[in-house]
Amino acid sequence: MLSIANLHARIGEKEILRGINLEVKAGEVHAIMGPNGSGKSTLASVLAGREDYEVTDGTVSFFGKDLLDLAPEARAAEGVFLAFQYPVEIPGVSTTNFMKSAVNEIRKYRGEEPLDAVQFLKMFKEKMAYVNIDQSLLSRSLNEGFSGGEKKRNEIFQMAVLAPKLAILDETDSGLDIDALRIVAEGVNKLKSPDNATIVVTHYQRLLDYIVPDFVHVLYKGRIVKSGTKELALELEEKGYDWIISALVD
Amino acid sequence: MATDTLVTISLPKEKQSALDRFLANGFPTNKWEEWKYTSLKSLNDTDWHWNTSEEASLDSILTLETACTLHTSNGKMTLEGLLPAGVAYLDFANFVHQNPDFAKVFAQRNPILDQNSLYDLNDALASSHQVIWVKKGVKVEFPILHTYFASVSISSAIQIKLLIYLEEGAQLTWIDDLASSVDSQAILSNYVQEIWVAKDAHLTFVKTQDFGQMTTHIDHTFISQQDHSVVDMFTFSLNGGLIRNNLHFYVDGQQVISNLNGLYVPGNDQLVDSHTVVDHRMPNSESNELYKGVLLGNSTGVFNGKIFVRPDAQKTNAFQSCKNVLASDKATMNTKPQLEIWADDVKCSHGTTTGQLSDEALFYMRSRGISEEAAKTLLMLAFVQQVIDKVEIPALKESISNRVVAKIQQALGV
Repeated sequence: MLSIANLHARIGEKEILRGINLEVKAGEVHAIMGPNGSGKSTLASVLAGREDYEVTDGTVSFFGKDLLDLAPEARAAEGVFLAFQYPVEIPGVSTTNFMKSAVNEIRKYRGEEPLDAVQFLKMFKEKMAYVNIDQSLLSRSLNEGFSGGEKKRNEIFQMAVLAPKLAILDETDSGLDIDALRIVAEGVNKLKSPDNATIVVTHYQRLLDYIVPDFVHVLYKGRIVKSGTKELALELEEKGYDWIISALVD
Repeated sequence: MATDTLVTISLPKEKQSALDRFLANGFPTNKWEEWKYTSLKSLNDTDWHWNTSEEASLDSILTLETACTLHTSNGKMTLEGLLPAGVAYLDFANFVHQNPDFAKVFAQRNPILDQNSLYDLNDALASSHQVIWVKKGVKVEFPILHTYFASVSISSAIQIKLLIYLEEGAQLTWIDDLASSVDSQAILSNYVQEIWVAKDAHLTFVKTQDFGQMTTHIDHTFISQQDHSVVDMFTFSLNGGLIRNNLHFYVDGQQVISNLNGLYVPGNDQLVDSHTVVDHRMPNSESNELYKGVLLGNSTGVFNGKIFVRPDAQKTNAFQSCKNVLASDKATMNTKPQLEIWADDVKCSHGTTTGQLSDEALFYMRSRGISEEAAKTLLMLAFVQQVIDKVEIPALKESISNRVVAKIQQALGV
């Protein structure tokens, strides 16, 4: 599904990604871990198409298409979804209106007919159940005045509506208490299928108790320095990152 | 010079002295403090036809349930439909004849003219001076629609004057649907409205301005309010080469509420200048001013909001906010709040902001599949929605919203 080769990216003069290689197949869950400043969020942003970053080398192919060549909205239409670490507040635009625009723009991209109000109502009802989100929250201005938990639940609701092939969760656990974390993780797990894949970007192991990864990768100074299975995450929780870093010859 | 032809016009004494005052000053230029960003000097280059007899007609694009419609076509006013009971439509002389006391009040009115030479020009040459008169305690159920339309084949000045008079306890919703043809020759539309809102009366006034590029519209709306009266004023400047709105509130009573709402979306080669005055002359009243602008293309916006709180106007609450989005790096916005407060026990606040759309918000929306243009349109509409939503007539709200969206989409090339 996703194939990242030798990806280099920088912001301004600062090189942040320095040769990422990663293969993600349908049905897999990958966790990207690493200390602060290792480039985890940058990787998520570059995949989603944030324009602050300049890709200087390497390729990213998504179902055979050059992902880096596509505008953010085209990536979304192709099936990439980024759950934001800090979801943006948009005064005056309700979640439902926002999602209606998004769904119909994506359908237009794919050459499909737009959905009508009745179809939306039915779909929203069904997806709201995934993340236990309330209708009243969806009618309010997007993320405006939402608690941390409400924002993240709203992200997962959006993910449920858009049904991406590749979901990238950027530090979804940050700012969540354990109950909110569980609800969000349950939503993500319900959306998992043999046809889609998930990349979980996280600093802490605790999210991985709920979203169990098939592979764990440690990112350090813009490179993946170690990959393993879910046991690696437990080892990191216990021993920290230093033992990996000190074993590296930079 | 365009004004040369005015010198030869002969008028009755009072009108002649108004014309003389105009001629002494001429059209405002940017050397005048109140016209710093809005020079009308170029009006001198046009050979204006001062008294057009051309016909123009266009049905309003609004489909509303109305009490009746007043049409103004190239300055000629006609009434369509029956006036609601308790409402009269008559010329100014006749009105004064029936209300002799008002003649004195009118003569003693003291508008802040702010170097407004076009008020004098209108005074001298207005083709009609009509009055809408809502009698004591009459609550008009449906809005009265005023469609004002201009279209000319020779450059023409169109000038009318309208007085709206609400007696004690009267209620009226007035819709000013101002427009001109997109393929008209140059128009100088110089429009004066003087409004009296008596004790306990309530006026809702929605003004939409949707002109062609060749129109220069100068609007003078002066509202005087008495005790316990409420005025909800809306000014939507949707299109036109140059629009200057002089909106003045004279708070001559206590417990008065004055709400000023404005929205402007000038596009390429367009200018919208909102000059507002709220003059608190009496204590215990409240004014709320909310203006929002989206400036497209290489447009220019001006907001000058004056609030006076006179020494007698203790316990005044006066609030002012003007927020703008520059949708292009070629657009300019000039804001100048001016508060002059002579009373010591008052609550006043003001704030103006001018910014650009948030890149973070745009990326967030695009990451969900919304195209850049659609995301910008949504964000800009959301920005101004707050003003549109205050209009309580659904069909009018929708029409304004659609026109704003169309204008934004046109500017973005959608």
